Amino acid sequence: MESFFVRYRNLLVLLAILLAQIIGLAMQVRRTDSGRNTLDPQDAPGVRLLRLWADMVVTPPERAFHASRLGVVGLWQNYIDLRHTREQNQDLQKTIDRLRLEQASLLEDAKQGERLQALMDFQQKYIYKTQAAQAIGTSGSDSSRVFYIDKGADYKLERDMAVITPDGIVGKVRDVFPHSAQVLAINDQTSGAGVILETTRIRGILRGNAAGRPQIVGILKDDRIHPGEKVLTAGGDLIFPRGLPVGVVEKVVPDPDRDSFVDVIVTPAAHLNQLDEVLVITSTEPRFPPEQQQDMATSEMLKGGQAAAIAEAIKEQKKASEVMAERLPGLTDPNAPAQTPAAGTTPGNAQPGQSATPATVTPPPAPKLLHPQHPDRFTPTVGSPQSAQTSAPADQEKKPAPKSGLKPASKPEAKSAPKTNPPPAPAEGKTQP
Amino acid sequence: MSLLGADYRRDMGVHSYPVLVYALTPLAALVLQAWVPRLVLGYTWFDLPLVVTVYFALARRNPIQGTLMGAGMGLFEDALTHHAIGANGIAMTVAGFLAGSVGVRIDVENHTIRTLVTFVLSLLSSVIYFSIYRVLLGLNLEWNWLAELAKAVVNSLIAMVLFPVLDRTRVRD
Repeated sequence: MESFFVRYRNLLVLLAILLAQIIGLAMQVRRTDSGRNTLDPQDAPGVRLLRLWADMVVTPPERAFHASRLGVVGLWQNYIDLRHTREQNQDLQKTIDRLRLEQASLLEDAKQGERLQALMDFQQKYIYKTQAAQAIGTSGSDSSRVFYIDKGADYKLERDMAVITPDGIVGKVRDVFPHSAQVLAINDQTSGAGVILETTRIRGILRGNAAGRPQIVGILKDDRIHPGEKVLTAGGDLIFPRGLPVGVVEKVVPDPDRDSFVDVIVTPAAHLNQLDEVLVITSTEPRFPPEQQQDMATSEMLKGGQAAAIAEAIKEQKKASEVMAERLPGLTDPNAPAQTPAAGTTPGNAQPGQSATPATVTPPPAPKLLHPQHPDRFTPTVGSPQSAQTSAPADQEKKPAPKSGLKPASKPEAKSAPKTNPPPAPAEGKTQP
Repeated sequence: MSLLGADYRRDMGVHSYPVLVYALTPLAALVLQAWVPRLVLGYTWFDLPLVVTVYFALARRNPIQGTLMGAGMGLFEDALTHHAIGANGIAMTVAGFLAGSVGVRIDVENHTIRTLVTFVLSLLSSVIYFSIYRVLLGLNLEWNWLAELAKAVVNSLIAMVLFPVLDRTRVRD
């Protein structure tokens, strides 16, 4: 027996190690309800411990390498390549001042949009707080598109937080360690992000392929999808906020597994292979820092000033239109009774250029009803005492009345009528007694 | 390729190295494997831990040491990914074992032979890795044969440069 172990020692060690690893693998895989095998998305404690150890071994040297590289780059950029910096600084300062005001205004719009969406029960998110981080390492495997960032639980990062750059989305936090975090990039085969095509509004799921190219899968054939169309986040995955740039359509290829479906290959907006700095969206709750609140207050003040200026301009415009109305002949009934003095101001006292609007609120003047051409028994004025006094004689009813006479005197016309010189009596005058 | 007796080879040239080389070379390989892809546009068409495993397994001519080293390096590489821990470990374990076994039987002082062994074991490691993933675990993982072939070629090129450098660190009797 002893000779057996000695003789096959090498093979037995190999088999023992292989067996242990196979058992370990079996414990990490589970079968879904649909009968497919999948990896447990949440690592078991033992597995997580192994990942933590590996991270603790690799991250410090990576951090040192990264820092030394940044040091060399910084030495060049900060001490050697410093031409025209002062002018650029001044220009940038001006740009920052302008952008801060614009940003404050946009934040207000975002807040309003969020309120409206809350009213409509939309589950969409806005970005309010991000944490900048440096990409310091990768998985070292092309079948696992993950990378490591230099911020972790110490910066309150959590699993499933979205990771972006100013160019577009990058991925999501998959695992958080004390001083680092693992980010699953959007071009990994196991990633998934809800996206929407900007113009055609076609929705799909973005994930990576074997070559590390992001592609939208599960889309029905559609001739409207063309290269160059922008792809945005749809916001339905509850990880990426809605409307962030993802990339542009590169080409459309048939789905190898399903006939009526296509895969849309996407050129990512973010440079996934050259990531240095990324932003982790740590909060979508409205928490504004004091500086931003001050900017918003400034923006609000400016908005108030603008509103007052607009109101003043409207007022001036109104005055001008009234002056014009006074000078132009109106389509008013020159014989309409003058407004009562109870209006607070006599029409004759109103000077051109002044507002004819009385200081006190007066009821609008009742329109003067003109005589109907062919009154009958249904005409309301017939038979009333007042109509009997003002109604035209029967022989005058045959005379045609001008069309303008059918209109009742409008309110502004009634205001300005007494001040205007009536034009030569139109045909309507003939209808008057 | 000259075939020699196992005892003869073992007696003739089981190389040993300083402890620091044993400790730092695998660590450096793991760290560089994780860090260098950031500098080369994300391309990971190389596997430094595999190359180092093959080197030490060949040099030590001991299948058990090759097996243990391969298992350790493979598990470490798995831990840095988001995949199941063990798939790469099994592939590297087999590669380390085979390298140690081959080292007993062939003349591994020859650079061409060592480069060829690295190339073959690199391809074999890829095949085992994807077989485990797709057959043993039943998981859906696409892969590209050309990329794996390129990876094996790059590993061989790295071996051509790295092995002579590591040879210089041997302990001389």
